[in-house]
Amino acid sequence: MLKSKKHVFWEALLITIAIFLIGFFLGMLIEAKNTSDISNLYLQSEIRLVDGMATSTLIGNSNLSCEDLKTSNIEFANRVYDEARLLEELESSGKLTQGMRYLHKKYDLLRTLLWMSNQETLSKCDNYNIVVYLYEYETEDNYKKATQNVWSKILLDLKKENQDVLLLPIAADQELTSLDLLMAEHEVTQLPAIVINNDKAIYELQNINQIQTLLN
Amino acid sequence: METLTIVYFVYTFIAFYFLFIYILTYVQNRKQIHETITPDKIRSLSIVVPCYNEANSIGKNIEAFLESDYKGLKKLIVVDDCSTDNSYEIIKKYAKKYPQVIACQTPKNTGRAAGAKNYGAKFAKTELIGFSDADSFPNKDAISKMVGFFNDEKMGAVTSRVLVSNVKNKLTKIQLIEYKIIALTRKLLSFLDSIYVTNGPLSIYRKTAFDQVKGFDMKNMTEDIEITWHFVSKGWKVQMAIPAKVYSGVPETLKIWFKQRIRWNVGGLQTIAKYRKKIAKCGMLGLFIMPFFTFSWILGLTGLFFLGYRITQYLMVKFLVAKYSVAAQVALVSMEDFSLNPSILFLFGMVLFTFGMIYTVVALSHSKESGRIIGHSVLDIFIYSFFYLLMYPPLLIWSFLKYISGYNTW
Repeated sequence: MLKSKKHVFWEALLITIAIFLIGFFLGMLIEAKNTSDISNLYLQSEIRLVDGMATSTLIGNSNLSCEDLKTSNIEFANRVYDEARLLEELESSGKLTQGMRYLHKKYDLLRTLLWMSNQETLSKCDNYNIVVYLYEYETEDNYKKATQNVWSKILLDLKKENQDVLLLPIAADQELTSLDLLMAEHEVTQLPAIVINNDKAIYELQNINQIQTLLN
Repeated sequence: METLTIVYFVYTFIAFYFLFIYILTYVQNRKQIHETITPDKIRSLSIVVPCYNEANSIGKNIEAFLESDYKGLKKLIVVDDCSTDNSYEIIKKYAKKYPQVIACQTPKNTGRAAGAKNYGAKFAKTELIGFSDADSFPNKDAISKMVGFFNDEKMGAVTSRVLVSNVKNKLTKIQLIEYKIIALTRKLLSFLDSIYVTNGPLSIYRKTAFDQVKGFDMKNMTEDIEITWHFVSKGWKVQMAIPAKVYSGVPETLKIWFKQRIRWNVGGLQTIAKYRKKIAKCGMLGLFIMPFFTFSWILGLTGLFFLGYRITQYLMVKFLVAKYSVAAQVALVSMEDFSLNPSILFLFGMVLFTFGMIYTVVALSHSKESGRIIGHSVLDIFIYSFFYLLMYPPLLIWSFLKYISGYNTW
C-alpha cells in the first residue's frame, strides 16, 4: 500500500522542479531582454558623451557659444537621468542575473565622465550649474535610505524649477577609481552628499532653497 | 543572488511541492473521493459522547444518534464530566426513555474531553467504538457510510466530514469554507495513507486498535490528533468517509476562535514532540505526516518572520521619508516610488496563489450542501484567502510561545 502511493511524491517533485526550471528560464530571458534594451540605450548615450567631450574640448580651444554647450550637456544629462530611472525600475525587478548591476555601474561611470568633462566648462560659462548627487547604492541603513529618497525628490523639484541645472546622480560606492579620486578632490567625506558647482559638498539638506541659494 | 531571494525560492519550492502532491492526488483519485464501501457484515458499535455543560445541545446530539439508520449501533454512552448545569439530568431523562442510551458520570471533573471519553470507553464491549462531541449532530446515514471501511481488517479508524451547524455570521461562514477545504484535503491525504487527525465530532475506531493504544492521551490537548498518530505508528490504517456528514458548532467570536486554535496548535506541537523519534520511521507517519506537519510549522513561522521583517523595514523607511518630506516640503509620494515591473519572485507568488485559488474552488465544488457549485460568495472566499489564512502564522507563533511556556489548560 505504502509503495503504491510513493509515485505521487516523485511526480510532484518532478513537476515542481519543471515549474521552477521554466520559471527560472523565463525570468532569465526577461532579464536578459531588459539588460539588452538598456545596453542599447547606454551605447547611444556613450556616443553622445564622447561627442559632448569633443565639443567641450572645442569650447576650450575656441570662442564657440557657451549657451550651445550648456544646452547640449543638460539635454544629455536629462537623457541619462531618464535612462537611469528606467534602469533602476528594471533593476528592482531583476533577481536572477547581475547584468543590470553592471549596467548601473557603467552609467555611474558615464556620469562621472560627464562631471569631469564639465569641470572646465563650468569655469568658462556663466549661469551654468552642476549639481552632483552622490549617494550610497547598497545601504542597509533605513535612515540613509529615507534620507536618499527625500533628497532625490528635492533634486527632482530643483530640476523642474531650474532648467539650466546639470543634475548628475551618481552611486558613489561602486568602487570606481576615477570617482573615488574625484570625490577626494572635492573633499567628500560621507554619503549622501551634494556637490554644487564643484565648490561645496552638502551633507545636511533642509529643503530646496538651501541649494538654490548656492546656484549661479 | 540575495539571501532573501534564495530563502523565498526555497519557501516557494516547498509550497509548490505540497500543492502539487494534493493536485496530483486529486487528479488521480477524483472518482473515488465520494466512494463508500458496503459493509460485509453488521459490526456492533458503541458511541461515546463526552459532555461538560452542554445542556443546550446534548439532547439534540442524542436524538441525532437515535435517528441513525445503522443497525449495529448498540449503545450510546453519554458521559457527563461533572457539569455545573443540568446536562446530566437531561442525559438521564434520555437514558430512562431509550434503553440504548447509557448515562454515566465521571467521579470527578477530568478537565478535558479525553478523560470523559476514556471513562465512557470502559462501558463499550462492541467491535467498534465511536466518539462524538456533545455539540455535534451526525446525519442519519453518517455511521452507515463509515463502517464499510472496516471490511479491511487493518483499518483502525474512520473519520467523517465536519460541517458547520451554526452559520450565523461572517466568522462562521468563513469557517465553513475552511472546514470544506479541510475535508477534501484530509480525504486526499487518505489516498496517501496520511490522515493525521480523526476529528472529534464523529470518528469510529476498531475497539481492538483503541485498546492497543490504551485510549486517548490525557496529557495531550488534541487527543484526536494524538490517537491518530498512535494508530498509524502501530500500523493501523485510517480512512475518511466524505459522504458521512456531521454538523458541529464552531466559535462565533474571534476570542473563542483564537482560544480554540491555540489549543489545536499547542496540541499539535505536543504530538510532534511525543512522536519526534518516529521521524523517517513507522511508514507514512515518519515519512510524510511528521515532515508535513513540521514543514507546515516551519513554512508558517519563517514566512511570517520574513514578511514581518520586510514590512517593518518598509514601514520604518516610509515613516522616516514621510517625516523628512514634510520638513523639506516635498511630495510625500511620487511616481518614482512605484515600480510596475514585476519580478520573477512576484510571478512565482502569483502562480502559487492561482493554484491555491483553483484548489480552493475545487474543494468547495466538492461540497454541494447549498445546492450550488461553489455555495459561497466571492467576498467570503476573498476574506478566507486574504485575511483568514494570514491569521495563521501569528497564531503559530503565539501557540509556540504558549507551548514552551507550558500551557496545558482548556
